[in-house]
Amino acid sequence: MLPPQFLVPARIERDVSITSKKRLLELLARRLADADPALHFDKVFDRLLERERLGSTGLGHGVALPHARMKGLREAIGAFVQLRTGVDFDAIDQKPVDLALAMLVPESATEAHLQLLAQLAARFDEERLRTQLRNAKSAEEILQLLSGSHA
Amino acid sequence: MKIIILGAGQVGTSVAANLVSEANDITVVDRNSELLRALQDRFDLRTVLGHGAHPDVLRRAGAEDADMMLAVTNSDETNMVACQVAHTLFKTPTKIARVRSPGYLDHPQLFGPDALPIDVRISPEQLVTEYILRLVQNPGTLQVLDFAGGRVRLVAVRAYEEGPLVGHALRTLYEHMPDVDTRVVAIYRQDRAIQPDGHTVIEANDEVFFIAAPEHIRAVMSELRRLEKPYKRLIFAGGGNIGTRLARATEQDFRVKIIERDPQRARQIAESLERTIVLQGDAADETLLLEENIENTDVFCAVTNDDEDNILSAMLAKRLGAHKVMALINRPAYVDLMQSGRIDVVISPQQATIGTLLKHVRRGDVVEVHSLRRGAAEAIEAIAHGDPHSSQVVGRAIEDIRLPKGTLIGAIVRGDQVLIAHHDTVILPEDHVILFLQDKRRVPEVERLFQVAVTFL
Repeated sequence: MLPPQFLVPARIERDVSITSKKRLLELLARRLADADPALHFDKVFDRLLERERLGSTGLGHGVALPHARMKGLREAIGAFVQLRTGVDFDAIDQKPVDLALAMLVPESATEAHLQLLAQLAARFDEERLRTQLRNAKSAEEILQLLSGSHA
Repeated sequence: MKIIILGAGQVGTSVAANLVSEANDITVVDRNSELLRALQDRFDLRTVLGHGAHPDVLRRAGAEDADMMLAVTNSDETNMVACQVAHTLFKTPTKIARVRSPGYLDHPQLFGPDALPIDVRISPEQLVTEYILRLVQNPGTLQVLDFAGGRVRLVAVRAYEEGPLVGHALRTLYEHMPDVDTRVVAIYRQDRAIQPDGHTVIEANDEVFFIAAPEHIRAVMSELRRLEKPYKRLIFAGGGNIGTRLARATEQDFRVKIIERDPQRARQIAESLERTIVLQGDAADETLLLEENIENTDVFCAVTNDDEDNILSAMLAKRLGAHKVMALINRPAYVDLMQSGRIDVVISPQQATIGTLLKHVRRGDVVEVHSLRRGAAEAIEAIAHGDPHSSQVVGRAIEDIRLPKGTLIGAIVRGDQVLIAHHDTVILPEDHVILFLQDKRRVPEVERLFQVAVTFL
């Protein structure tokens, strides 16, 4: 289960056409920054980039989980993008990424945040979920799939 | 990585050559179509004709997707404006600019997120000056490179017969000097690399790379060769930016002379320097060199902007008896040609500069890169993050880390503490790990080793 308000349809985009990891992170940073007036796009983008530099968050099978700690944030928030065609993300299996769930957590992240990240990584291991997300026709459908409330 | 290089001049070309071989996606922008054509003939890259600071040109060069922009045209102003455009319009993550004029560099407040958004400023003249200074301050070295802000250094030196260690196994070095912690990380014998271990026997003429804290460098060198006295008398040929900076940095501690051909320039620098003797004349003039006691000169260092002049005057100075001669050489072909000839140390501005760029291209938290052996080898300082679950190095002893072939860990810097690597040294989070790679093609494996797992938060 995702925390309430972690993801809302306004932060979910599908069938997006972009051509690089940089643009994908930029788009995710914009959606995340829109979630809270205290967040600034430049800061969010920088934090996501810094984390990517330590090691790609490309999980394999076309999925990435970019994330970062963020000062001033009280609750974890997420944003999701489904791409029309994958972009090079320097992922573990070197496959292009077309599904990306970005996440910001408070600066003093807790065990619960670590678990959320690990749990999301584990869920994306299921091929069925990945296929369903790729075929989803609306933001609401994607939200339902990610929340796991349909099953 | 997608990289845009502005400027197809000497710096741009050598950077492109270095990065293109590493599976990067490179676009070079210049206003000179012939330079671009020459680049395209030699390398697998894209070119765009136009002014590098112009938004439309940058867009055509793929700025919206680029991870990095390297502005290295010969105009400081173009480079700075290009970084501003890239930042404001394209949110380019990393922006590096060549800024040469001290007029800008002297005001660091000009640079930053609220001023000129340039992440890294590169001044090749400054880098070359520092490179030469370290050679002058460490007599007998071929190369001296800093890691962890100078807390530990990598030194290249040639071994000679008279060194007590020559002819003996390396482990005797560690036995001879129990109080001096050092590690020999590479040996080059007749241009072939040897992976050293305790049993390796050092031979005369070997080029030896060792890692040590600055205060131990002389002790290690005394094992490899007759120790040279600190240098006293220096002559710099060429009173340009580099020659003048060198004189300013050394005139308090050394007896310094500069030879400058242009009378007006000679007068100008004579006024700006305190103790340096400025001579107006030709550095390749035998009479002048003899009059200036060339045979008693410890270091003759030719740093004009003309490769041929530097090569000739350095060779002449050597023949006339200068103890050590160095020459600044831009053209890579000349660098190769002169490397093992009459000139003791050849300084290539490209080699001295490229590391500053490479550290931003390397994946993982790499904070220092030095390109060695004309680009064939590399020394890297990387920070280890995470825990034993999310990292392949943290919590492991060095002997348990799966390093690629020809790669050695030389030292670890933990806070202010320098730890020379031993087989049982365990890496902790936030350690700065200094590695030597004989073969730079192994860089991707080292990058992967230092990357954290996806779930690292």
